[in-house]
Amino acid sequence: MFLTIRRTFREAIQNFIRNGWLSIATVSILILSLYVLSVFFVVTSTANGIMKDVQGKVNISIYFKPDVSEQAIAEIKADLENFSEVKSVGYVSKEQALDDFKRNNASEPIILQSLDEIGGNPLLASLIVKAGDPTRYQAIVDHISQASFSSEISRINYGKNKEIIDKLNSIVATIKRIGTVLGVLFAAISLLITFNAVRITIYTHKQEIEIMRLVGASNYFIRMPFIFEGMIYGVMGSVFSMLILFLSVRFVTPYVSSAIPSSNLIDFYFSNFGILLGGQMALGVFLGVIGSLIAMRRYLRV
Amino acid sequence: MIKFDSVSKVYKGDFPALEEINLEIHEGEFVSVVGQSGSGKSTLLKLIYAEEMATSGEVYFNSNLLNNLSRRKLPYHRRDIGMIFQDFKLLPRKTVFENVAYALEVAGVPDEEIQENVQQILDIVSMGEKMKKYPHQLSGGEQQKVAIARALVHAPMVIIADEPTGNLDPVTSLEIVQLLMRINELGTTVILASHDKDIVDRVNRRVLVLDKGRIIVDCAKGKYKAS
Repeated sequence: MFLTIRRTFREAIQNFIRNGWLSIATVSILILSLYVLSVFFVVTSTANGIMKDVQGKVNISIYFKPDVSEQAIAEIKADLENFSEVKSVGYVSKEQALDDFKRNNASEPIILQSLDEIGGNPLLASLIVKAGDPTRYQAIVDHISQASFSSEISRINYGKNKEIIDKLNSIVATIKRIGTVLGVLFAAISLLITFNAVRITIYTHKQEIEIMRLVGASNYFIRMPFIFEGMIYGVMGSVFSMLILFLSVRFVTPYVSSAIPSSNLIDFYFSNFGILLGGQMALGVFLGVIGSLIAMRRYLRV
Repeated sequence: MIKFDSVSKVYKGDFPALEEINLEIHEGEFVSVVGQSGSGKSTLLKLIYAEEMATSGEVYFNSNLLNNLSRRKLPYHRRDIGMIFQDFKLLPRKTVFENVAYALEVAGVPDEEIQENVQQILDIVSMGEKMKKYPHQLSGGEQQKVAIARALVHAPMVIIADEPTGNLDPVTSLEIVQLLMRINELGTTVILASHDKDIVDRVNRRVLVLDKGRIIVDCAKGKYKAS
């Protein structure tokens, strides 16, 4: 048993090397397929990350009338935090709002000057509400406007953000839909191509398989080298694809970083190294082995 | 050792390749099967190495019925037989040594034994010098010698040679046949299919003449007789 595995494995490596060009061609196709799929994975994952990032910045601000006490606002805050759709509620006091305003307009002396002329603090205290699910903001707004404290609210700025939020939500949904369709399509195409490449490689061994049968080799003994060869294709394909992916990520990162500061492709590559390599290797080996097995059925007459 | 009991073989949608063959081949015999192309020589041999199954009648090998040999047992049956073909059927991507060794590897023979036996058998067919060459680097006669070495290396009971000299010049043909005769002298049964008159006359042993799927002559010691 062990002897057979050793012999068939050695045979596989020998085939791989002695078939030079055919092996290179097959592995190249595998590399290309795996590379396309992994690029797709990186792109969708990064896009998803960016979308989440943007969605995280969406919120609604509730501004209270100047005479509402801090304690009353704290009670409302507690009430909102109990609402299931709400993820977090932040309190911004009048003083803090003023500080923020001053800081944001530090380079605009005219604005600061006019602020001084008004005297006192014209800004309102507010609560900043974030939803767990960005599509549920409308429900939160409805909840607030029907609540007992609605009379104490000066304004809710959701209306202004509503369009942006809705648009964002529909963009995310579209990206996910297109992504899924494209992903499945890419996967199917590259799987078919790779599968065929492996099959063609095996078909060139037709005559050899017939000779092996005549010499008294069992189907197992004939099949094992091809299975091992399929595995070698998979391993080589995934390793080279990872290498090319690394080079392209490194090349692209500087351009992407300036556009989207929150994402770093290189970091993404390394933090997902295991998944990327493992997934590709599993897929590559699967394709190699299944391709070999199906191609051989024809000649082994099993 | 090999027995055909009223065996017929009909390929799908074709006239019968063999009809009502009754035949017995004993251990140590050298049998020449002659006849024109399409007379059924190859089919007769294929029934013995179980590449084809009889349509009717029974084929026995060592008193085992071959008609319903299972796929699992087929490789074991093949290891009792050494086969030689007109087109040599060497594995193109293996060296001379590896080609011969392959017949032992499939049977699970230990490495040291393979090393020794292959070397020895290649020396017998005088191919020991070229064991690192690939088949395409050899002449036809040399390739056939390697094929004979491969057929012999696992010490089979029978050597089946289907037109082994068909692709060779007369001098090399003679060399190959002399090799087969030596093998036979050492006790191995040899079944040789050929339509080469010179070769069969040279062997001068039992001759079976096939014509249109029937045995028309079976003489214990004879010469090629054209039908």
